[in-house]
Amino acid sequence: MTLTAPVNPPKALPVSRRESSVRRAWRKASPYAYIAPFFTLFAAFGVFPLIYTAYVSLYRVELQTPGDMEWRGLGNYTALLGDEFFWNSLRNTFTIGVLSTVPQLVIALGLAHLLNYRMRGRTFLRTAVLLPYATSVAAATLVFAQLFGRDFGLINYVLGAVGIGPVDWQNDTVASQIAVSTVVVWRWTGYNALIYLAGMQSIPDELYEAAAMDGASRWRQFFHVTLPGLRPTIVFTVIVSTIGATQLFGEPLLLEGSISGGISHQYQTLGLYMYEQGWGFFHLGRAAAIAWVMFLLIVVVVGVNALIARRRSRKEAGR
Amino acid sequence: MTAPSTTEVPRPPAPLATHAAVAPARRGRPSRAGRTLHAGPVAYAILIVAVLVSAFPFYWTLVAASRSNADLAQVPPTLLPGPNLIRNFEAVLEEADIGKALLNSLIVSGSITLGTVLCCTLAGFAFAKLRFRGRGALLAVTVGTMMIPPQLGVIPLFMMIAELGWVNQLQSVILPGLVSAFGVFFMRQYLVQTLPDELIEAARVDGASTARIFWSIVVPIARPGMAVLGLLTFMAAWNDFFWPIVALTSSEPTVQVALRQLGGGYVHDQSVIMAGTLLGTLPVLLVFGLLGRQIVGGIMQGAVKG
Amino acid sequence: MPIDRAVRSTTLAVRLGAVVLSGALLAACGGSSDGATTDAAGGDVTITVDLFGSFGYKEAGLYAEYEKLHPGVTIKQTDTEDEADYWKSLQTRLAGGGGLADVQGVEVGRIASVTQQQADKFEDLKKYGADGLKGQFAEAKWAAATGKNGEVLGLGTDVGPEAMCYRKDLFAKAGLPTDREALAKEWGDWDGYLELGKRYKAKAPAKSAWLDSVGSLYSIMIGQEQERYYDASGKLIWEENPALRAAWDHSVKAAADGLSAKLDQWSPQWNQAFSAGSFATMPCPAWMLGYIKGQAGETGKGKWDVAALPGGAGNWGGSYLAVPKAAQHKKEAYELIKWLTAPEQQARLFEKQGNFPSSTGAIEKVATATDPYFSNAPIGKIFGDAAKAAPVQVLGVHDQNIAQQITNALSEVERKGTAPEKAWENARKGVANTLG
Repeated sequence: MTLTAPVNPPKALPVSRRESSVRRAWRKASPYAYIAPFFTLFAAFGVFPLIYTAYVSLYRVELQTPGDMEWRGLGNYTALLGDEFFWNSLRNTFTIGVLSTVPQLVIALGLAHLLNYRMRGRTFLRTAVLLPYATSVAAATLVFAQLFGRDFGLINYVLGAVGIGPVDWQNDTVASQIAVSTVVVWRWTGYNALIYLAGMQSIPDELYEAAAMDGASRWRQFFHVTLPGLRPTIVFTVIVSTIGATQLFGEPLLLEGSISGGISHQYQTLGLYMYEQGWGFFHLGRAAAIAWVMFLLIVVVVGVNALIARRRSRKEAGR
Repeated sequence: MTAPSTTEVPRPPAPLATHAAVAPARRGRPSRAGRTLHAGPVAYAILIVAVLVSAFPFYWTLVAASRSNADLAQVPPTLLPGPNLIRNFEAVLEEADIGKALLNSLIVSGSITLGTVLCCTLAGFAFAKLRFRGRGALLAVTVGTMMIPPQLGVIPLFMMIAELGWVNQLQSVILPGLVSAFGVFFMRQYLVQTLPDELIEAARVDGASTARIFWSIVVPIARPGMAVLGLLTFMAAWNDFFWPIVALTSSEPTVQVALRQLGGGYVHDQSVIMAGTLLGTLPVLLVFGLLGRQIVGGIMQGAVKG
Repeated sequence: MPIDRAVRSTTLAVRLGAVVLSGALLAACGGSSDGATTDAAGGDVTITVDLFGSFGYKEAGLYAEYEKLHPGVTIKQTDTEDEADYWKSLQTRLAGGGGLADVQGVEVGRIASVTQQQADKFEDLKKYGADGLKGQFAEAKWAAATGKNGEVLGLGTDVGPEAMCYRKDLFAKAGLPTDREALAKEWGDWDGYLELGKRYKAKAPAKSAWLDSVGSLYSIMIGQEQERYYDASGKLIWEENPALRAAWDHSVKAAADGLSAKLDQWSPQWNQAFSAGSFATMPCPAWMLGYIKGQAGETGKGKWDVAALPGGAGNWGGSYLAVPKAAQHKKEAYELIKWLTAPEQQARLFEKQGNFPSSTGAIEKVATATDPYFSNAPIGKIFGDAAKAAPVQVLGVHDQNIAQQITNALSEVERKGTAPEKAWENARKGVANTLG
């Protein structure tokens, strides 16, 4: 493989000098050519829509006539403040978020600990717990919706066999939120377990050896070596899962195929409410306001998490 | 300027180069004895339960997909596969056009994967190894927006594609799918760790252009990282839900759009719905079956770096 | 990056290729079953038809016949069961201009939205000579699809005269009369119907309720009214409408008496319940007959019967076929819908699927029809009488959205035990939210 030379053979000095200055300019500019494809797409389909969402949220825009925009100022936002359905979906987003994130991460931590053992079939086990990650939201939810059926669902049948139920997994507020959360937990626990596992493997052995020499039991080692060592990883997973929970959409949509999140909106999340406003009622401006609120919420969540993480690590350093 | 043959860029087998580059960065872990204990029966038992819980819904999808609607309304429920799998596949191919959905999903996910890997490798290389004004700021912007869900921009995006007349056309899903801040960051980290500066310096001294360096040095070394990014991108694109159901409809569906139609009462027969779910999941399961190890590795690696 | 994976990078690439390839094959296999969707050379045309619920054209063999009559024409239908989903998707496509079928179905509850808000997005069928068809259709049906400037925006398919479908076998088990004439007398009004329900409940087989949901009770009752959500001047009146309130109160009472199986219409569980016999009666507009046949299947044959509706005649639903401006084969689409809505085809559709004709000629033709699936009930007479006596309803832009909020609230009452007054309040808020 040889490089073919640029064509012009050097005839006179000035030409050559000019050429090299062109070359130099190109060398300076060329890095931008490498990032240009990404940033062009990023600007058009990433940054612009986000900013334009804020703009749209100040107007009354209907899906049937997207060309006619009528100035509303902060009207969409003040309407949200007085909108019971908005607060309801905010509440649901929070409770479903807790119901899905906490078990997911706790179980993942336990699984990671076990997967870190020496054992037969480690690769198989790691792959197997990751299996749910391979399914889509839609597929997973459709299957779980069947399993959670009130009259003919397998879960109620099993519960019935031990004398519980039948539970109305669609209409009961708490039960339906548990059903939605279950899908999330099922899909993401294995993924988080692997991330924890990776974190555990990067904790230096010396720490464990030192702890063992101090006579610490396995439990104590877990709490005093593993957990502190995993802190950055845990912060990372908490942030990622929280963001996921804030925009939860497919699971509640497909539990019953209802865009209102159940007959009394009992499991309607913010993401679903945005969809209902935009593509159910055709109020795009209102939906944009909800999207922007979700954005601010995520900024706050990430900010608070980062703050806590930094404070703790500073405290640690001070000790 | 001529290019003497000595400038021919050395192109060692990729694995070797990667190995050499990575070796120092690897965490030494000679003895695991300090903490890595053998699993006891309890640990095995718990893990087996976890595997069963992970796998059961797949099994049950198969059971339901091979039964009939009436079977599924029986008490006690049936737990063994029945004889109707082929009939239900035929029904769902006929009624919900899953065949077209699979093809569309393949086109969409394939294009997104190729495009994303290319864009991200280019940009990742620039961020990792090239010096230019605004590099730090641009990288910070990219990383900073990594956490922002694209779902929040769907309203203007929808207005854009409505304006362009792209509703229900595949490019409306492909183009936004190419934006992956994570991918850029991932490739940058990968190249920072695996691509020695000396290699680039040496090539520059020999007069190689940046483009030459990119194709002859960077890409071969980056290939394993590109493969991992490609895998993760493919799965994410295949499973993407929100934007496709806004931009596409049942007449030009991806698999997820078709599944949403099934869930919204597109067909009445539960066993047919499950057959559709099974068909729509099989391709990703296939990827997973063949490349599960790489996916596991990719996620764990991404975790350490992220 | 661990070494072992790096070493495998080549095989990884190979495997990736294999996966993509096999995926392509799989998709190709699947794709081949639906035939070509693009037009082949030589004037062949594929007309796309996008519908909701059960129009029954395919089941009745009408597409096949049309294709035989018009060589070179292929008809491809897509169908969404839930009309609300269908409408959402249709609006999205109308806004974006892409993905519209050549023929789009429009429910009667939406036709006002088409004529008042979207007349510019659908073809004026007068262009193709639809004016000449006016005499074929019931007057109200024709008028409802006429735009402000006299545009003809859709051709009527069916209407939804109402009756009561019931399970003879379950009635017998509970010791109730099974004869349709006798029943029509017993449930002369809605109170009689609810009384009979209580008697059924006392002796009913296990896990079998009197009716599927109180939402369907409400829907059938409101269908008996001329004014429902809007008055003739287009003013929203539903909150003060005493007739609507009466339908609501009866539904609430049925829920309180435990007569309902609590299965929301169109939900997957509702679909499953047909074959399980979870309910003994189901208020049924004519188009529901085809749906029942499809859901209950062969095993339900002869178990069902149809009787006159308590409390007089009514109409629930019925549809139109329209051609969007953005359609690709407008002329061919018009020819197709003209044929599908012609009296002969409407009559045949009724005999096979139960969709009751909106064409006056067809109504005469089917007067003596019976249906073996429904124990040879004289469905031509039952639905024909209902169609003649049914009030001409006042239609409004948001009929469907408002109805949806009210049936949601009723579901809340029966399934969550929400207090009726609170549920009513929720419906009110829901409507306000919908209308924005």
